[in-house]
Amino acid sequence: MSVTAEQIREAMSRTREARERVWQHRTTDAVITMLAQAAKNWLDPKSSWRQRATEQAPTCTGFSEAMVNEAVDLVFGAITYESLGELLDRELGNRRVLDEFCLRGRVQTRGTPPRLIAHFLAGNVPAPGIVSLCCGLLLRSANLVKVSTHDPVFPTLFLESVREVDADLADCAAMLDWPRGELALTQTMVGDADAVIAYGTDSTVSALRQLAPASAKFLGYGHKISFAVVAKEAMTAENLPQLAQAAAFDASVYDQQGCLSPHVFYVEERGQLGPRKFAAALADAMAAYQARVPRGQLSVQEAAEFARFRTGYEFAAASDRRIGVWASPSGNDWAVIYDDSPAFVASCLNRVVFVKPTDGYKRVLDAIQKFASQLSTVGVAPMNERAAAFASDLTRMGVHRVCPIGQMQHPPLSWHHDGRPNLADLVSWTDLG
Amino acid sequence: MEKTALDLQRRILALIARGLTHPTTDKEFDRLAREVFAFQYERCAPYRAYCDRVKLTPQTVGHWKHIPAVPTSAFKDFALTCFPVEEAVAEFHTSGTTREKSGKHHLRTLELYEAAIKLNFERHLVSDEKRLRMLVLMPSSQKAPHSSLSHMMGVVMHEFGEVGSEFYVDDGVLRIDQVVRDLSETQQQRQPVFLLGTAFAFVHLIEHMARQGLRFELSAGSRVMETGGFKGRSREMPKVELYALIERFLGIPRTRIVNEYGMTELSTQSYDLTMQTDRQTDLKAIPPWARVTIINPNTGREAADNERGLIRVYDLANLWSIMCVQTEDLGVARVVAGTNSFEILGRAAGAEVRGCSLNAEDLKTR
Repeated sequence: MSVTAEQIREAMSRTREARERVWQHRTTDAVITMLAQAAKNWLDPKSSWRQRATEQAPTCTGFSEAMVNEAVDLVFGAITYESLGELLDRELGNRRVLDEFCLRGRVQTRGTPPRLIAHFLAGNVPAPGIVSLCCGLLLRSANLVKVSTHDPVFPTLFLESVREVDADLADCAAMLDWPRGELALTQTMVGDADAVIAYGTDSTVSALRQLAPASAKFLGYGHKISFAVVAKEAMTAENLPQLAQAAAFDASVYDQQGCLSPHVFYVEERGQLGPRKFAAALADAMAAYQARVPRGQLSVQEAAEFARFRTGYEFAAASDRRIGVWASPSGNDWAVIYDDSPAFVASCLNRVVFVKPTDGYKRVLDAIQKFASQLSTVGVAPMNERAAAFASDLTRMGVHRVCPIGQMQHPPLSWHHDGRPNLADLVSWTDLG
Repeated sequence: MEKTALDLQRRILALIARGLTHPTTDKEFDRLAREVFAFQYERCAPYRAYCDRVKLTPQTVGHWKHIPAVPTSAFKDFALTCFPVEEAVAEFHTSGTTREKSGKHHLRTLELYEAAIKLNFERHLVSDEKRLRMLVLMPSSQKAPHSSLSHMMGVVMHEFGEVGSEFYVDDGVLRIDQVVRDLSETQQQRQPVFLLGTAFAFVHLIEHMARQGLRFELSAGSRVMETGGFKGRSREMPKVELYALIERFLGIPRTRIVNEYGMTELSTQSYDLTMQTDRQTDLKAIPPWARVTIINPNTGREAADNERGLIRVYDLANLWSIMCVQTEDLGVARVVAGTNSFEILGRAAGAEVRGCSLNAEDLKTR
């Protein structure tokens, strides 16, 4: 359902008025408490928010009910009083710094957040949109949120759950939607914004960057891709089942639609068990995850892409020993493709993952070098000294996050998304003394 | 075995020679198709390995629809032939749209291939004219020996081209000024003309004409065969839009613009029924020596009529390579007035990404 320019302007003045009220009556700490409470209200297995999300989200997001349920835990489990407080302390030095002058070094300083933030959300991975909204509310800004047609449900329900605990705070944000390509509406929305936060394809992000007023702060998050490396130390019989389970979780959550979803697992040779063993164990774990959290329905195009990948590799696997395919026996629920060519390849998504043998971290760096600017997260197992050295090399290549396999989909709230802080870039400062 | 193969070839040629007005019964097609399958299973090792893997062999397959299809990507990784590949008389390469490697189709004989081309082309494009001056917006097969399309154009030009027919692409460049001069000449002489090219070439020509302020009213009987589309090119245009431009800039009515659907991996093409029915249609005919089924990609089984899915082609003229090819194109099966036809809906690749991850189509080397 599309809004009109008039409705956007109306939402703008409504959220701005609410913001004035909230500034008078809420400290940052009170806002943290409210947001944490709202998030907590989702976590109970019988929560009405959870229930509404599992009812409403599958249709637009394409996720299964079980996946939506899992998403609720992932997204709202990460939003706690502690994590929100840590985010503010870490990025602004002190969570009270928006409320009063605080001593920093030799001077006192106080932060001023943007008055109006325009958020443009992407796709159907709910976490970034919810975090973006939380940031806007933490800063007590007025927030206009352009939701994606793929997922209006999570942000809208979250705002409702905030309203349940604090109506004034919820009034600081408005959800808006209109069909793609309505340039005039986008212009209306960003015209007065002090900050613009945009998620989407590189072209969407750069188009919004062009439209944003020159004076506005602009945070753009383009699409990214992730992969993981299993070192030989991790390839033991004892470790493998648990490792495979963690890997399957990372690859399967959000049906691999997220930028943190791994496409390739490079597995180091010369471990106690070989890379093919990892592929087989990963396949078992993917099957187990599918049984618990089924992959969502695919559009014909997505299913066709899946079939193209799967049959292409299956044909090759029949006579080429360097290739192996493990896939769900019925339907196209998931597939693990073993291919001993070291080249980095992107999957067609929807739980199709590659396993590739490698001679070691050095070889992995060679394989991914060309794609470094498009990488988000690199999972590693185990997290040891060699992995730390690898992380240093990745840092030099511009990779922003290295984490243990199994944690790829659990970035802390205070992570540097695409290498940048979430709040600090939005705040400007006044020094005293 | 050689005797069996030659016997099969003779029977398929006879079937093609019967022409397009004599449809094959299911039984008739099934018998030939399963014999071809048995031959190809025997002769093509990678295909046999795949059939064994999916447990569909000549012993277990009871109907042509269950014959395993080869994904087009397999033509990139394997020489899929039922004869020693060094005996090939021609080798056609795919343009390599999304992956770097190109697929190869090796032909043992041109006989089947050319027989299939001629009759089908004649029926759908030149049934009302003996010969036409052809302006082919492609390179000749001398210039592009590995292009199946150029080869095909050579065959139809030889068969149906009037004096003055010509290829207009040299070294990858469309000789656009020459095209314009020749079109202008045919217009003056009131000579009907037949333009053949990729959709991309037509866009290129029309953009040039628009810039130069040129328009033609080509003589009655003029026509266009447009093919392929825009694979791998940056600019795309919906078919209706392109046809409207062709009508406006060349004066060729939409009832005389026919889309060809062909693939390097196949020997048989499909054409819009436009000229057959004298009205613009996206429905495509299937000649009697081929079948098209639409596969539901979620189940791998045949889709219902009017349900979208992947186009699978069974082409008996592919006797010496692989008959059953799984394309990467989406389509729907339509049953109109009791005849089977299908519609193409575009490539499966490039599905819109819902999330914030890049997929195989988007990942680029930077």
